[in-house]
Amino acid sequence: MKRLAYIFPFLLLFTSCENFLEVDPQLQVDESKAITNASSATTALNGLYNRLSANSYYGSNFPALSYLSGGDVQWSGSQSAPQEVVLHRLTADNGYVGSAWTAIYQTILSANYIIQAVPQVVDPLFTETQRNEVLGQAYFIRSLAYFDLARGWGGVPIILTPTRESSENANVEKSTLAETYAQVLKDLELAESLLPETTNRQRATRKTVWALRSRYHLYRSEWEQAESYATKVINDKANYSLLKPYAAFFASNAVGTSESVFELSYTISATNNHSNWWLPPALGGRREWSPTPQLVTLLTSAETGGGRKELLGQTAAPGNLWYGKLYYRSPTGTDPAYLIRTAELYLIRAEARAQQNNLGAALSDLNAVRDRAGLAALITTDKTAILNALAQERRLEFAFEADRWFDLVRTGKAGEVLGITNPNKYLFPIPTAEIVANNAIIQNNDY
Amino acid sequence: MKFNTRSPYSVRFLCALLLALSTPVLLKSQDNPKPLINSTLEGTILDAKTREPLIGVSIQLKGTTHSSYTDSKGRFQFITGQKFPYNIIVSYIGYEKREITANGSPIEVLLKEDIKTLNEVVVVGYGTQSKRSVIGAVSTIKTSEIANQPSASFDQQIQGRAAGVQVGSNTGVPGDGLFFRIRGTTSINASSDPLYIIDGVFINNQSLQKITTQGQANNPLADINPADIESISILKDAEATAIYGARAANGVVLITTKRGTYNSRPKISLNTYQGASWAPELWDLLTGPEHATIINETWTNDGKPFATRPFRPVSEGGRGLPEEQQTYDRLNDVFRTGRLQNYDLSVSGGNDKTRYYIGGGYASQDATLKTNDYSRASFKINLDQTINSFLKVGTSNTLARSQRANARVGDGPQGGILQAGLHTPTYLPKFNADGTYAKWAGFDNLDVLIDNTDMQSVSSRYMGNIYGEAEIAKGLKLRSSWSLDYNNYDEFEYWNSLTNRGSANKGLAASSISQNLIWSSEQTLTYRNTFNENHTIGVLLGNSIQGNTARQTFAQGTNFPSDDLKQIASAATTTSSSNLAENKLSSFFSRIDYNYAGKYFLEASLRADGSSRFGADKKWGYFPSAGLSWRVKEESFLLNSQTISDLKIRASIGLTGNQNGIDNYAALGLWQGGYNYLDNPGSIPVQLANANLGWESTRQTNLGIDLGLFKDRLGIEFNVYHKYTEDLLLNDPLAPSTGFSSITKNTGEISNKGIELSINSTNIAAEHFKWQTNLNLGRNVNKIEKLPTPIDASYNTIRMIEGYPLYSFFVYKQLYVDPQTGDAVYEDLNQDGQLTVADKQVIGNASPKLFGGLNNAFSFKGIDLSVFFNFSYGNKIYNNNRFFLESGGTRDDRRAINKNQLNRWQKPGDITDVPRLTTQGTNYTLSPSSRFVEDGSFLRLSIVNLGYTLPKDLSRKVKASTIRVYVTGTNLALWTKYSGPDPEINVTSNPLVQGYDLGTPPVPRTVQLGLNVTL
Repeated sequence: MKRLAYIFPFLLLFTSCENFLEVDPQLQVDESKAITNASSATTALNGLYNRLSANSYYGSNFPALSYLSGGDVQWSGSQSAPQEVVLHRLTADNGYVGSAWTAIYQTILSANYIIQAVPQVVDPLFTETQRNEVLGQAYFIRSLAYFDLARGWGGVPIILTPTRESSENANVEKSTLAETYAQVLKDLELAESLLPETTNRQRATRKTVWALRSRYHLYRSEWEQAESYATKVINDKANYSLLKPYAAFFASNAVGTSESVFELSYTISATNNHSNWWLPPALGGRREWSPTPQLVTLLTSAETGGGRKELLGQTAAPGNLWYGKLYYRSPTGTDPAYLIRTAELYLIRAEARAQQNNLGAALSDLNAVRDRAGLAALITTDKTAILNALAQERRLEFAFEADRWFDLVRTGKAGEVLGITNPNKYLFPIPTAEIVANNAIIQNNDY
Repeated sequence: MKFNTRSPYSVRFLCALLLALSTPVLLKSQDNPKPLINSTLEGTILDAKTREPLIGVSIQLKGTTHSSYTDSKGRFQFITGQKFPYNIIVSYIGYEKREITANGSPIEVLLKEDIKTLNEVVVVGYGTQSKRSVIGAVSTIKTSEIANQPSASFDQQIQGRAAGVQVGSNTGVPGDGLFFRIRGTTSINASSDPLYIIDGVFINNQSLQKITTQGQANNPLADINPADIESISILKDAEATAIYGARAANGVVLITTKRGTYNSRPKISLNTYQGASWAPELWDLLTGPEHATIINETWTNDGKPFATRPFRPVSEGGRGLPEEQQTYDRLNDVFRTGRLQNYDLSVSGGNDKTRYYIGGGYASQDATLKTNDYSRASFKINLDQTINSFLKVGTSNTLARSQRANARVGDGPQGGILQAGLHTPTYLPKFNADGTYAKWAGFDNLDVLIDNTDMQSVSSRYMGNIYGEAEIAKGLKLRSSWSLDYNNYDEFEYWNSLTNRGSANKGLAASSISQNLIWSSEQTLTYRNTFNENHTIGVLLGNSIQGNTARQTFAQGTNFPSDDLKQIASAATTTSSSNLAENKLSSFFSRIDYNYAGKYFLEASLRADGSSRFGADKKWGYFPSAGLSWRVKEESFLLNSQTISDLKIRASIGLTGNQNGIDNYAALGLWQGGYNYLDNPGSIPVQLANANLGWESTRQTNLGIDLGLFKDRLGIEFNVYHKYTEDLLLNDPLAPSTGFSSITKNTGEISNKGIELSINSTNIAAEHFKWQTNLNLGRNVNKIEKLPTPIDASYNTIRMIEGYPLYSFFVYKQLYVDPQTGDAVYEDLNQDGQLTVADKQVIGNASPKLFGGLNNAFSFKGIDLSVFFNFSYGNKIYNNNRFFLESGGTRDDRRAINKNQLNRWQKPGDITDVPRLTTQGTNYTLSPSSRFVEDGSFLRLSIVNLGYTLPKDLSRKVKASTIRVYVTGTNLALWTKYSGPDPEINVTSNPLVQGYDLGTPPVPRTVQLGLNVTL
């Protein structure tokens, strides 16, 4: 039985070492190591901006929901989801609505993580000022996210702590619209107190907070505050101005011009696909949508469009197809997302002033924007005329940004302009994914 | 039970130790005393019928282990210490065993061919069994049945050959992935593919492809040359599979490759065929004038002025009148007749201690869709060496290189060669007036793609193992085996400035190199012995450890100086990334089997598996099984029955596990980098932790009957099974408001119930004419028993819902088209007067109600003919391709229109299911609609093979032992109601999406001429 001796080494293999089964990921880190010091907090903050600028959010999808719903951009492609948006035939499983909702809440998740973790970080090198800057930006982005939810979907679930386990933040019901807006304001106020009064067009500072607050108060019809916050930014003339000509803020690969109060910039290590949807095949896109003939007429007219005709391009004969070219950086995918521009603050203030019957000042703000577009000044003393002119101005000024639809809904004109008879359709549907997995949520009416 | 002990040694150290300690075994010299010679027996062994010498026949001295084999002339010599007379046992695979008393030398022994299939040897987990003693449900496929089909991979050849095994092509492109299920789908997010083992090597069947071909993926099993395969065993029930415990829930496919025969002269075998393939049918599209008519009708139906209709005279600013439109046929530009060729050459043989098989093969196939082709060069060497009376070593090796020219065949316009050919409206010209390439509707110009598509991939693969086997004591064997499956998948694509992708990027190139390594080490100890004549007992104990490392490097370059410079080194802008992921598995297994007098069989096994993928306390899973069978035929009341030649009843129950297909780190809460902003590194939360994540397990019971009638001329095998999967490894949806879309957890249950029937019949077995029929049928009923939250697969068309089967289509139900208005009327399920997602419902699913195959084989003298049908009944298809092509004019100049659109409602009283043309309302914008759910049942004349074997004396003249010429046709006829060219189609390699047609190249028809020569 000498042979049995030879089994010995084999028998050793019949054992297994416990650590043999321990395998660590190479591409990710455990959640516990995510935010532990100044450097990782900054990394998480960069991640938060990345979420905000994701394709499904400001990268293309969220602005697209607005301009596709706004009646001036038509569907010229083949996908069903944008077709439904254009036709106002949204269903709860529309992919565009679903991915925007998901992306916004992913942004909120990252913000919640930072807001919860950063105050607890023990790192002597992480100064109070740095902490406040990180926190302030997280509060700002969270307020923007809830603002976008409020104007798109109405009252939504308010989630203020990070989901660390699947049982957390499950089955949260919708808050009212007022509660949702109240949360926006609360975060804005915190951000305002935490952030320094510096100028940065690609990250939030106290000035960025002012600009968003101005828009917030406009949406809440709080004219006085809308005006005062707009003024705070407009008065910083050294840093914020209406660039001339109109195309100066985007043409020739411009980035972070003084027109921008807040824009998200993209680099080769983080790109977006916005131009792909707009550009014709010859320029590397698929022209899934394009400006309507009506918008083309308005933008190309010297009376209404002026310099804003630069937003349009036309393909070669025989096609002669119009396309939008605000987003055109096709080889690189680095078109910025324009969130708040100086022009908007002028138009917000004009509207707030008009609503407060300060018509002369309103008109001068409006004409500042018209002048920049190369249009003649408007002369009128009629409040309604000014308000109508403002609506028209916004329509053309922000034709391909996240504005038109929300503006029509805010001013109650969506029905009149777009022929939507059911006011319940002014809100997007809560996506199916939320409905099936959240037992407490109730679908928006008529979806 | 806990096998793992905390050991101070690392596994690597153990390996080294093992090798060191094993060395003396290898060096051990023969220390047996010189044998005493008392007699020398010489003899010849011949086929009883043909009197041909039989090579490699085993001759064993009864009651001893002493044996010998016949040489190439059928002769053997036996030198023994025993004196005449004594008994020898003569056995040879495929022949009846004989026991003969040798009274002197020389002798001549005639062996009769064994027509009983019952003596077949069946390969099972960690061993072989005679078919008689198999308890589990095992389908064995002889490669002779499926040889010479022009399929790139053996798994495709199995289609329709084994009951309960469902195989479906996703596309007609050779070497592409397919759908393979043994007894239904058991999982949602973990893999439902079986475990593939080739000669003991666990092999990868997941595509490593990273560069998109739009929803399609290569099939890694195509790296294996089917000509090298000897047999395929498909283990279906828990009794058969539980020995592979953790990975066996979806069945196991065991592949045995060819090995040499001891004591035989070199056998050289050459096989070649040449053939052609083409698409038997393509899509029916509208002509230019018809397309224009439809668009104008949509325009006026929308209430827009006739004067401004799109197709009005050019002088009025229109596109020209409908009748002025040209028709440009692109489909016939993009499809072609492809060439098939195949060469296999092998040498095998052996002496008394060594046997070998060396095989080389080359196959190449053009897809019917242009720019796609596939070729494989492979090399195989199998070797077994007996070192001494108790020690044997051996090795199996496969080296292969599969080369593919790819194209974008699926969804998405950019670079999509099929879509450019199929979906570009037919009235639009191929060239602009100035002679430049015209591009339409987001599609590339088809001619540009045909001439410039440059997507290549090369799969380099090594699969092999070495083993050592020692017989420590009588009946007690120790085997150690070390295996590797290494796959390097190298992809490259270049889009020059003529293509859309290239023009936007000034040239775009991408290179991806994926490396996948699976290594495993297995030690088994087996014991088998028979006591007191009637009690046979077998024991197996084993341990295996396995690791899998996947590495990937990706680089992309844009902005090239010219179209002549294609390598990324020339690009002005480059990006790159790399990735690495790992998992490990450690297992212990045991099996005990017992049979009494070949009458009662009992078997039980237990396996424990530990996986690195699971939470700390859940790593280990335990998988037991038990089975028994009763060979009724051996009972006295049947022993003498003339009608019933065999009857066996089998029953088994067992538990198997699954952990394949989930992420390696699914149990951890993770943050991931790479989410940058302004070129500063950023990180985000990507996954929630679940420390309780553990095994998905499937309980399976199986009842089976094997019946042989009329001397086994008619063989019937019937199985009924019930699989119940619990603790599904599910990406359980979370409300997106949590910031996560899902968490991987053990929740949900799925059942699969089914029956399988195989009938093998020798209808005629005359002297010169033989007719055999094989029929197999499978029915599987799948049901999601528990699912907390419904899950949508991609495209919002397939939804998994508790109480329904997987692959159910969840759509709006179109009731009819109102004959008065022409509008589609949909069912308002909740009767709230509106059409919302609440009105979607399940209409059919993609799984067949019944599927199977029927083969008839005839032979008349040297002529052989086989005719094989396969079918699928009751499966539905969502024809999304039709949704695009039949969109009522809403897609105007962006998509071609199909012929069925002409059946639209036009005037009150029209009865049709194609609604009035309009861009308004819900006629053509409500999606998905039951209008596009179609019956995908089919019957296919899958293979016809006609061969002629030259008479022996003729082939001997050229010194060949056999020469056979044959002609094979595949997919020669198809009967189906499906409106697309072929119902065997699927958009994607996403396992949750089945029966979703977005347009892929149909299954080709092939005809080939071949030659087999054996020397």
